[in-house]
Amino acid sequence: MYTNDKKSPGTPILAVNTQATSPAAAREVRDRRRAFLLLTPGVLWMLLFMLLPLGMVIYVSFWTQTTFAVKPDLTTASWEQFLSSATYLSAIGTTLRVWVIVLLATLIVGYPVALFIGLFVKNRTLQTALLVACVIPFWTSFLIRVIAWRPMLGTEGAINIILMKLGIISDPLSFLLFSEFSVIVGMTQIYCVFMVGPITFMIARIDESVIEAARDLGASFGTIFRRIVLPLSLPGVIVGTIFVSVMVLGEFATAASLSGRKVNLLGNIIVSQVGSLKWAFAAVAGVVLTVIITVVIALALRVVDLRKEM
Amino acid sequence: MLELKGVTRLYGDVVALDGLDLSVPDDTYLSLLGASGSGKTTLLRLIAGFEEPDRGEVLLNGERLDGKPTHLRDIGFVFQNFALFSHLSVAENVAFGLRYREVGRLENEAAIRERTQHALQLVGLEDFGHRGVGEISGGQRQRVALARTLVTEPRIVLLDEPLGALDANLRARMCDELKSIRERLKVSFLHVTGSETEALTMGDTVAVLAEGKIAQVDDSRSLFTQPKNPASARHLNAWNLLPGVVKGGVLHASVGKLPIGEQVADNTSVQLAVRFDDIGVCAPSDVPAGHDYFEATYVTGEFNGPTALSFFRTPDGELIQVVDHLSDPRLPHLEEGKSYALFFSPDAAVLFKGAA
Repeated sequence: MYTNDKKSPGTPILAVNTQATSPAAAREVRDRRRAFLLLTPGVLWMLLFMLLPLGMVIYVSFWTQTTFAVKPDLTTASWEQFLSSATYLSAIGTTLRVWVIVLLATLIVGYPVALFIGLFVKNRTLQTALLVACVIPFWTSFLIRVIAWRPMLGTEGAINIILMKLGIISDPLSFLLFSEFSVIVGMTQIYCVFMVGPITFMIARIDESVIEAARDLGASFGTIFRRIVLPLSLPGVIVGTIFVSVMVLGEFATAASLSGRKVNLLGNIIVSQVGSLKWAFAAVAGVVLTVIITVVIALALRVVDLRKEM
Repeated sequence: MLELKGVTRLYGDVVALDGLDLSVPDDTYLSLLGASGSGKTTLLRLIAGFEEPDRGEVLLNGERLDGKPTHLRDIGFVFQNFALFSHLSVAENVAFGLRYREVGRLENEAAIRERTQHALQLVGLEDFGHRGVGEISGGQRQRVALARTLVTEPRIVLLDEPLGALDANLRARMCDELKSIRERLKVSFLHVTGSETEALTMGDTVAVLAEGKIAQVDDSRSLFTQPKNPASARHLNAWNLLPGVVKGGVLHASVGKLPIGEQVADNTSVQLAVRFDDIGVCAPSDVPAGHDYFEATYVTGEFNGPTALSFFRTPDGELIQVVDHLSDPRLPHLEEGKSYALFFSPDAAVLFKGAA
């Protein structure tokens, strides 16, 4: 059939299209489409379950709180009450203090462990095995790990018994349990591994020949540690710091089970306020906590440019 | 002078170095040629102190080095991968030894800066001090590594395949520069390499490392033209080795009978070595007078630019190589699978006693 002279409506458009879209451009379009596709679930998730709730928390913190209900009438009453209450302000102080101490403790306990695994254990398999060993405590429930400290630290606990048997003390030490001390010990033990992991990875990445080069240039082990290993492991310290900070600042369970209600963290306040249906108040504490964590992470990221280390 | 006496290093059951003796005189460029896995890097690591020998002594100017910690040995080591400190700038890398070494540390910042700048000038990087080591090219990194080592004025400089990570053009240029830098500093360089051309180009003296021992130490030309043993000849990658047994003053090799120039007792195992470029090729009937020859089949050729390599196979499967020079061709047209006479002047052959 001679219908070629009578162009079908689709043909010219198709022709123009194939000419305009080079294979390279078509590939770029495909690549971009795939990138968007990969991005979508994450973006949706963050929108629905992070940004939206975060906005909601901020919004609710300005609602009017009555004894058993909140009403969406905007007021700064909850904020005023929170910021003028010695209890809540001291909770911020306690949270920050516990955070700093636990952070330092995880660093002091964790860094040598990471140094050992990353630098002195040459065998990669053994390195992995040791790192996995650090995670073994996580095979049991969080609560068991925390509560296990009670028979250790209690007045009739293992530590007191041993110290008394050795004759170092005559009366049991009472500050060991149900105190800020026990909270710090518990948290350090739980979160230490999050410090060990990232630091180990950074140290293990240091090329052996770099350390040998420093030795060859005449530097002693101490100098090499200070001038080479420590600076090169700093990104690991920062990542570990971010992990530990985020978890410790929002903590409530360790304090609840090991402090005997003597230590009030922001997390504990949120739990108790939610428990007594004081949503607006809980929201204020939540916003304060979010701001603190944001500032901490921002500060940590300023110390080391993580983009350079990726 | 650096001396190694009877140095042995074992890794489990594997013998890396086997009672090795070597001395590196002052103010010399000594290149050490060895195949990969021959223990040449191990040798350098023993001198630098990253490892200790199982037996033997390492002496520098009569002073015992083995047993001494690396950072007190005062020996320069240039790594194959350069091993630069990635968190420090070029200048900070170079200044590292001056600033942080345990003995003879410089406290005066101005002095450190001056010597660092001087070292950077020496390697032609005076304007790169502020750069990060990730922001410079491979060749420049090589120079930083060199400057970092040289600035501390080590008693001897060990270079572990220092040109291995560079491309061919750069390698040729660095060869010249390494030599001229060394001549200016008057310090001995011990340069380890697996490339025979690099070893011959660089070294005032070339040592061949084979089977954990030094096979031969000689100047480049003597080593190349008169290897003293099969191991040296093999490492030069320029000699064909024909193993055989002497009977009645004639070598019975796998390629047939060949006359030998010297008196050798009957039933002695020997290897006759003929250099790639000393062999001529012709039809079996046309062998020129006064030449020894054997027959082999032409397999294939390899064109390398100024030279061409031709491969022949002897009846028992031995591969024979012949080099022809593009500007001065000696070989006739060769047909694959055809048999040719490979002839050489009796003077060109070198006889090694002992089994292959």
